[in-house]
Amino acid sequence: MNKKIQILLIITILVIAGVVLYDSLSTRIHKRPDNPYQYSVDEFKSVDESLISHKELRRIDVENPVAFTYQNGKLFLLSGNQLQVITAEGRELLVKPLEPNPRNINVDNHERITIAYENYLVALDSGGNELHRSEILDENSLITSIAGSDNNLFVADAGRKQIWVLDEQLMVQDSFRGESGVSEVHGFILPSMHFHLAINAEKELWVTNPGMHMLQNYSFNGRLRGHWGQTSFGIEGFSGCCNPYFFASLPDGRFVTSEKGIIRVKIHKESGELESVVAPDELFPGGEKAPAIAVDEEDNIWLLDFDKKMLRLFRPI
Amino acid sequence: MSKRIDRRNFIRGCARYSLGFGLAGLVGFTLKDTTSDEWVWQIDPFKCTSCGRCATHCVLNPSAVKCVHAYSLCGYCDLCGGYLKPGHISRDTAAENQLCPTAAIERKFIEEPYYEYKIIEDLCIGCAKCVEGCSAFGNGSLHLQIRHNLCVNCNECAIARVCPSDAISRVPASLPYKIKGGFEPGSVS
Repeated sequence: MNKKIQILLIITILVIAGVVLYDSLSTRIHKRPDNPYQYSVDEFKSVDESLISHKELRRIDVENPVAFTYQNGKLFLLSGNQLQVITAEGRELLVKPLEPNPRNINVDNHERITIAYENYLVALDSGGNELHRSEILDENSLITSIAGSDNNLFVADAGRKQIWVLDEQLMVQDSFRGESGVSEVHGFILPSMHFHLAINAEKELWVTNPGMHMLQNYSFNGRLRGHWGQTSFGIEGFSGCCNPYFFASLPDGRFVTSEKGIIRVKIHKESGELESVVAPDELFPGGEKAPAIAVDEEDNIWLLDFDKKMLRLFRPI
Repeated sequence: MSKRIDRRNFIRGCARYSLGFGLAGLVGFTLKDTTSDEWVWQIDPFKCTSCGRCATHCVLNPSAVKCVHAYSLCGYCDLCGGYLKPGHISRDTAAENQLCPTAAIERKFIEEPYYEYKIIEDLCIGCAKCVEGCSAFGNGSLHLQIRHNLCVNCNECAIARVCPSDAISRVPASLPYKIKGGFEPGSVS
C-alpha cells in the first residue's frame, strides 16, 4: 500500500479516536460546565449567627407525616390514616386508625381532638371515640387548618377562600372572607392551596394572607383588627407565593413563622418586627416543604419536617 | 408405497417455500413500520432539576426546549417567583426586576392583585431559570417541554445524554407532551 495512504489512514484513525475520547470525557458529570443560568438565592439564605435563638435538641422519626399539634405535654400527630399520641420523648401513648385522608388536627386543653378532612370534621374524645361530626361544609371546600377557642372552632378553607366558625357540636355558625372594605386589604389572597390560622394566648384569631405576605388578626365575627408582614427575600420579611406558610403563637404573644422556598423558621415580636431565627435554611438541606410548627409552655418549638419525616425539637439557647 | 421425491423437485420446493417466507417477512416488516407508533423525545417535568443544560446542549440554537405554563396550577399572583428576580426592587415589568434573561415571560394584569403569565416561545431559550423560581417559591406551574414543531428528533438526543436526572426519554409520538396539571397532550400555549 502506498505509504502516503497509510499515513493518512493513521491520522484519520487518531483524529476519530481523539474526538471520541474528548466527547466521552467532556460529558462526564464532573467535567460538565457550570450552569450559566443558575438560579440562586444563596445570598438570602445566610443568617447572622447573633440572630440564632434556638438549638436543636431532639429528633423523632415519624411515618407519613400529615399534621400535628402539642397539648398538655403530648404530641398529637396525624400519620397517614392514623392518629398517634406520643410523649415529648417519643413514647407512644395511643394509636387510632382514622377515616382516609385526614388533613389537620386541633386538640383543646381538655384533650378533645378535632380531625379535619377535605370538607368535613370529626370530633373525638381523648380515647379516640367519636363525639360529633360536621356536615360537608361545601363541595368545593379544602380544609387546610383548624384552631379552637372556648366554644368556637375556626376552620380555614383554602378551596372557598374563607373561614368557617363552628360550635362545639361542629355546627356551622358563621363564615367570613376577610374583606375589610379598606382598598389595601381585601380578602384572603391564596395563590396556592395553603391557608393557615391559629389562636394565640390572648384568644385572638390570627390568619395568614400569603398573597399579601401578611398575618392578619380578625375578630370572631370576621372584622379585620390588625395585620403585619412585609415582602422581602431578606430575613425580615416573607417571599414567594405562599409565605408565611405556617405559624404558631408563643405564650407571651410572639409569633413563630415557617417559610418555603428559602426554608426558615423565625420569631417575630407581637408588632411583627423580626426578633430571632429558630432554624435557618441550612438546617433543611435539600428540603422543599415548610415545616409545621407547635410550641410548648416553655417556649420550646416543635417542627414537623415533612421532607425528613421527623419531629424536631428546638430549645431556646 | 411412499412416493419418492427427486432432488430437482426437492430443491424447487425449498426455493418456493424460501421465497414465500421471505415475501411474508418483508410484508410483515413493512406493515410493522407503517402501523407501529413513532417515538419522540420528551422531558418528565417531575424529574427535571432545572440544571440549565437544555439551553446549552441542544443541537439547535436556541434550544428546542421551551418553558410551558400549566395555567390550571398557576396562582396568578402578583409576586410570581418565576417572573420576579430574587431581591427584586419592585413588582413591575422593569428589566431589572425580571428573572428571565431574555424577557420571554409576558405579564398581563387581570384584576387586582392577579396577573397572567405567558411564555413568548420565540424568546425562550429553555434555561429553566423561571422553572426553578416557580418550583421553589410558587406552585410549579412553569416547566420545560421539548417542542416538537422545533425538535429535529435526533437518534441520540444531545440533552438526554447529559441530563443529570434522566428526565428525558422517548415517548410515543401520539402522546408527545408531559404537561403538568392535567392538560391534554399537545394543548400547550
